[in-house]
Amino acid sequence: MKKFTKTVAAVLTGAMCLGLAACGSADASGAAASGTSSGNASAAASGDVIKVGAIFNVTGDQSSLDTPSQQGFELAVKQINEAGGINGRQVEATYYDGQTDTAVCASNAKKLIDNDGVLAIAGFSDSDFAYAAGAVAQEAGVPIVFSGATTPDIPDVVGNYSFMTAFGDNTCAHAAAEFLYNDLGAKTAYVLTDKSMSYTTNLSDFFMERFEELGGKVVLQDYFSSGDYDYSAQIARYQQQGGADAMFMATGPDDASTVIEQYRSAGIETPMISGDGWDTDIWSVAGDLANDNIYCCTHYSADSDSQAVKDFVASYTEEYGNAPENAFAALGFDAANVIFAAIEACGDDITTDNIRDNLENLKDLECVTGTISYSAESHVPDKTIVVTQAKDGALTFVKNV
Amino acid sequence: MKKTRLIDCNLFRLLCFVIIPLAVLVIFALKPKSYVTGIIITMGIYIVLCASQNLINGFSGMFSMGHAAFMAIGAYISAFFTLSTNVKQSMTPGLPQWLINTQIPFGFALIIGGLAAAIVAVIIGFPVCRTKGHYLSVVTLALVVVVKAVIDNQSDLTNGSRGIAGVPAKSNIVTVYICVVITLFVMYRLLRSAYGRGLIAMRDDPVAAQTLGINLVTKKISCFAISAFFAGVGGGLWGHYLTTISSSNFYFMKSFDIVEISIIGGMFSMSGAIVGSALFTILPEFLAPLEGGLRLGGIKLPTMFGLSNIIMAVILILLIIFRRQGLMGTNEVVLDTWFSKETYLSLFKPEEYRKLANVFRKKEKTD
Repeated sequence: MKKFTKTVAAVLTGAMCLGLAACGSADASGAAASGTSSGNASAAASGDVIKVGAIFNVTGDQSSLDTPSQQGFELAVKQINEAGGINGRQVEATYYDGQTDTAVCASNAKKLIDNDGVLAIAGFSDSDFAYAAGAVAQEAGVPIVFSGATTPDIPDVVGNYSFMTAFGDNTCAHAAAEFLYNDLGAKTAYVLTDKSMSYTTNLSDFFMERFEELGGKVVLQDYFSSGDYDYSAQIARYQQQGGADAMFMATGPDDASTVIEQYRSAGIETPMISGDGWDTDIWSVAGDLANDNIYCCTHYSADSDSQAVKDFVASYTEEYGNAPENAFAALGFDAANVIFAAIEACGDDITTDNIRDNLENLKDLECVTGTISYSAESHVPDKTIVVTQAKDGALTFVKNV
Repeated sequence: MKKTRLIDCNLFRLLCFVIIPLAVLVIFALKPKSYVTGIIITMGIYIVLCASQNLINGFSGMFSMGHAAFMAIGAYISAFFTLSTNVKQSMTPGLPQWLINTQIPFGFALIIGGLAAAIVAVIIGFPVCRTKGHYLSVVTLALVVVVKAVIDNQSDLTNGSRGIAGVPAKSNIVTVYICVVITLFVMYRLLRSAYGRGLIAMRDDPVAAQTLGINLVTKKISCFAISAFFAGVGGGLWGHYLTTISSSNFYFMKSFDIVEISIIGGMFSMSGAIVGSALFTILPEFLAPLEGGLRLGGIKLPTMFGLSNIIMAVILILLIIFRRQGLMGTNEVVLDTWFSKETYLSLFKPEEYRKLANVFRKKEKTD
């Protein structure tokens, strides 16, 4: 047994030595910059390279949202470097995997700021990770732009160094309510909420608020927890209730297809709508049933007429060989461009504080997912929501709300 | 005469396990914002959690997977006592008014969090401790699910699945490592007392233990409660380090992580908790450049995200097959060094120096 421990110890030591050697020869990590920017309120750009960092949860539950986001971000970095960089300086991006774990996200944010000396951080599609990494960035005074997180109070909770690329859940849910009431003529609604996610609980609260303001009536509210794959109880309650004109289903991307399949199989034909959580593969379980009166309020639509969208879809397909999987790819792309626009506005005096100020003064930046502006009162962009309908295996554009 | 090994020399142990770690801690305590400090703090918190897991898994034979539940309770309750009134007013308005207006020092909040977890452990202890082996594991897993469901649904009290952001950042190296030392000291003394021996007897042979007059029920429940107390303290430290807590942080994966650390380090040894936590927190850091795809001698390796998780899992499997007692086995080197007088007194004794010198001599020399 003693011999075994020794071999194990030897193997582990070998692995760690390999890691150390790798540290030495790794490119882009900028280990030389370690420690200099810790605790400083303002870090300056070093020479003619601009360092930015991005943390995306490419492994774990969030990977379906964050992998396209990271690819969108990488595409933007590549495009800007090919165009000559920002004011002549090349952009160097460092990527870390958040592993869908808040502690790892926070620690990676520290690594980016401390070891790699980045000037701005981007990432995340969910508020939990946004809070964790945002707290670190706020304390270190480094601007952080969240690509996919939609909870509207994130900048208030984290602080003035945080910005969101996506619209708030409030804007999205309000748009859904307006679409249902005005366009589909729905006077009554049924709301199904996933109680175990903050994203969905926020969405339904905002939806009900606006729907009732418009004059509609929510006839029944029901709940489930993410991972309950059987909705027969909820379906039974709905049928017993007598139905409604439309349904608002606040579920996350993983439950979307199962919900659609079960409700439609039970013979419920009512139109369903949801937020950007449904901008995912809703045909995986539901198949053709998902092409029947399903709507989704999301960040952009791949077949929209806007030139920015067309260019983005073309370059993404060229780079990765497939069309953007979902709107989060576009959000990652936009987050990068938002940061680059702010850095460009800094001219030659690139410091983290200047970048933050320029972000706050950003007005009307044309992006793939809409026009983005920030102000001192709001770090959440006030964008138009794109309502899409599921048709033949893809989300097609319906209207802007 | 048996040749003395390096590890047996008190001076070497003093250097290796006391002086060097203390130096590292002091250096990083002076650099609170550094990224390495974060790693060290996380390691400390995992040591506390793993030590309490070892108590219940290894030393009492009850294989509990419910640590995440007690962490959640400890985190939320201690946060209730340290959050500012504004945050509580907006996020958790259902709490009683006296609680919303109270803020108490961090240490007391941690203790109250731990006590709350211990009380829950006692309450559910009676049904849980009637089960054994695999059934106990499943029941404790069920506890994790129940706690998460309660937190999610009682949104007035806990802000539901949104979680609470803005927990004051009170975990720094000093507070965390004070907790580590206290936890390990308590565990060390507990295990070397009559209580501890009774616990080990109960693990090895419950029937024989009963014949010797050990009351199994009280032992099981008290052990469960003590383990839950320290898990709650660990959860409180965790919450105050990340400054944001949410029910999804304290779910199965967290429980499995702690069990994994405990098995790899050694379920039957508190020093194993230290070794396991160190491996768990430091290994991903070494592998990070490899994960991101690095240039090794001209060839660019592909990005292999998730590599450190895979390696930890492989280590776990190999250890379970070949060395079930974990890396440290039943060896208590580290704690023996920390908590025995002779280690510290050895600085002043010349025979210790001679012993150390003897180790490096080619031929054996009797004194």
